Amino acid sequence: MADSYLKYVASSMRSYYKDFSKYAKGRAPECKVAWVTSFTPVEILDCLGIEYIYPESYAAVIAASGKEQALLEESDRQGLSLNCCSYSCCFEGCLATESGPRGLPPKPDVLIATNNQCNTLPGWWNTLAKKYNVPLIILDYPGEFTSPEIAASYVKEQHQEFISRMEELSGNKLDMDDLKAAIGRSKASVEAWKRVISCFKDKDIPPTLLFDNINFLITARCKEDTATIYNLMADELAQSPDKDPSLMPLFWIGYPLWYHPDRYLSEVTEGFAVVGSNYINWWNLDYSGSDVWESLFNAYNYTFLNLKQETKTARLQALIESSGAKCAISCRNKSCKCDFVSAKDVGIVQTELEIDMIDREYLDLDRAKSLIAVMKESLN
Amino acid sequence: MKILSMSGFVPEAICDTVRFNGFKGDAGFSHYCTYASDYISQVLSDDTIDGAVFPKTCDSSRSISSYIGESGKFVYSLAVPVVRSEDAISYYAYVIRDYKTAVEAHYGISISEDEIYDRFRMVEARNASINSLYESLADGLSYSSYLNAIHENFTKPLAEQKIEASGQSAGIPVFLLGSYMTNAGIVDSAEKNGLRIIGDDLPESNRIAKRAFPVVDDIYQLVALQVLSSRTSPTQNSYSDRIKETMEEIGKKGCRGVLVVTQRFCEPYDYYYSVLKKALDDAGIPSLKLELDGSLDQNLHEAELGAFASMLEACHG
Repeated sequence: MADSYLKYVASSMRSYYKDFSKYAKGRAPECKVAWVTSFTPVEILDCLGIEYIYPESYAAVIAASGKEQALLEESDRQGLSLNCCSYSCCFEGCLATESGPRGLPPKPDVLIATNNQCNTLPGWWNTLAKKYNVPLIILDYPGEFTSPEIAASYVKEQHQEFISRMEELSGNKLDMDDLKAAIGRSKASVEAWKRVISCFKDKDIPPTLLFDNINFLITARCKEDTATIYNLMADELAQSPDKDPSLMPLFWIGYPLWYHPDRYLSEVTEGFAVVGSNYINWWNLDYSGSDVWESLFNAYNYTFLNLKQETKTARLQALIESSGAKCAISCRNKSCKCDFVSAKDVGIVQTELEIDMIDREYLDLDRAKSLIAVMKESLN
Repeated sequence: MKILSMSGFVPEAICDTVRFNGFKGDAGFSHYCTYASDYISQVLSDDTIDGAVFPKTCDSSRSISSYIGESGKFVYSLAVPVVRSEDAISYYAYVIRDYKTAVEAHYGISISEDEIYDRFRMVEARNASINSLYESLADGLSYSSYLNAIHENFTKPLAEQKIEASGQSAGIPVFLLGSYMTNAGIVDSAEKNGLRIIGDDLPESNRIAKRAFPVVDDIYQLVALQVLSSRTSPTQNSYSDRIKETMEEIGKKGCRGVLVVTQRFCEPYDYYYSVLKKALDDAGIPSLKLELDGSLDQNLHEAELGAFASMLEACHG
């Protein structure tokens, strides 16, 4: 069974990285290339035959390869403040040095940014637009901060305009049935991923597996293979042994630490078992709707970080409750101010750690160890 | 009713607000914009403030309501469009109408369209007077006098605002760029060091100076146009347009250098500056970036400004 899902993983990875310089070896992409943010309505691009690349994800891959610190320093030399999001600094360093574990991504023909996770991305994408001198499209999602009717109308107009511009770029005409099918595939990927993470509470599954494999839901959610990967993975994980009941169930609030081999602080959480994480739920987009416009609106306007605090709190509380966690580690991430306050009123004991998901120098491991020890003591 | 507002995106035509002008508070959050955290502090601890209105335009401002939402005060986050288009203006008109309804509901008042129209005209007149004074900067009007007059008026009700400035300054012509200049002492310090600011890109100055926009019947559309016809902020698309506009003004006015004053952990300006700096370097225009640690950071950066002035002097004899 394991071989089956890994076969699809390998194929999906090959497909995504085929035009990165390490593999393309000078061959130009066969289609137009868009650099997108991680909550871009890529179903539209997929149907128009436009290849889409995720700089944020590549920054995570760079950090996972252990090469991030030198690139952060290079970014600083290039004039981008290290106070900015480390995804952008790491990626900027990669572009400046023309080095990365898989080489450079193919150059963009268009840059597409959304503000449904943060406002950093439009700023970062503006710097990329100056560098590559290609069109920049910003999709504006008001989230819960205005009435649903106003937001739906505004977002629909933008999606329609976006389609027109992408049709012009690609030279292809969007078939609405294709778009409906792509949305259907994204829905199937989300449902299959939910099956995977449902095993996390009771089964002995390394968090690393989930932190890493959510990648397909981010970068390939409307690809046919993604639901297949997750369904096969869920079948396999269901056969895993149960979690050790003597371990204290812990919820991880915030980003994975991409530079860490385990993506979380395994070395200071002895006696705990991670049973849940909000990050692995962020891409569980809700594509419900009576037509494609409503589906895309619901999915991309109401992303977790685009919700009001009371909704975020309620969702987080529900996740924590269903995970059975008795305590939480809450990551105050230098690179994500929008996620600073996700952990308000979560209803369980928590300790807050100052971290950065890319820059390992932000973590004071001794302090983290002390804080976690205090939390453990209070639970006893 | 005393609503503390942050940013020029707040539609002044709806009701009077007090523009945030710095506060020393306890609400410090690591890696979080020092300006926004001081704003949060004031809303939470200043009993004379009964409301807050701010835009959802940067990562710090979009999470302000998470910190003050339970204060019991009026809290309104304006979902300002990040793009400028006809659709965005129509959308923002709806947002403004929603804001007005929220103010009415919270304070138990009624705001008529006639009142909004009157206030719209007052904003136009006020901005026109700022524009007129702004043009006088090139003729020697003291920038310190100009900026202090604006700040003083921004704490008053719209009907009482009257912006007048006098005083002359001389020195090396420079351009000033940054967010709302709560530490106006830096401007005084620049003038004392022989730098004459003759143009800027500040939200309380050149960015709201009168700009042409079409007249439409719907009052909310008109107010949206008034707000969104201003020069764009670095929180909005696109950098290319605003850099082009800034570089043209710098060239036209013969500015010999650029001062950039930002708040610590203000990402929009950090991203913007990384691109602007390249444009300035390519054009051979020296720049000095000063980073403030809080809205009331009183560091006058005398040494840096003095050195910058000396360097410009040496470059141009």
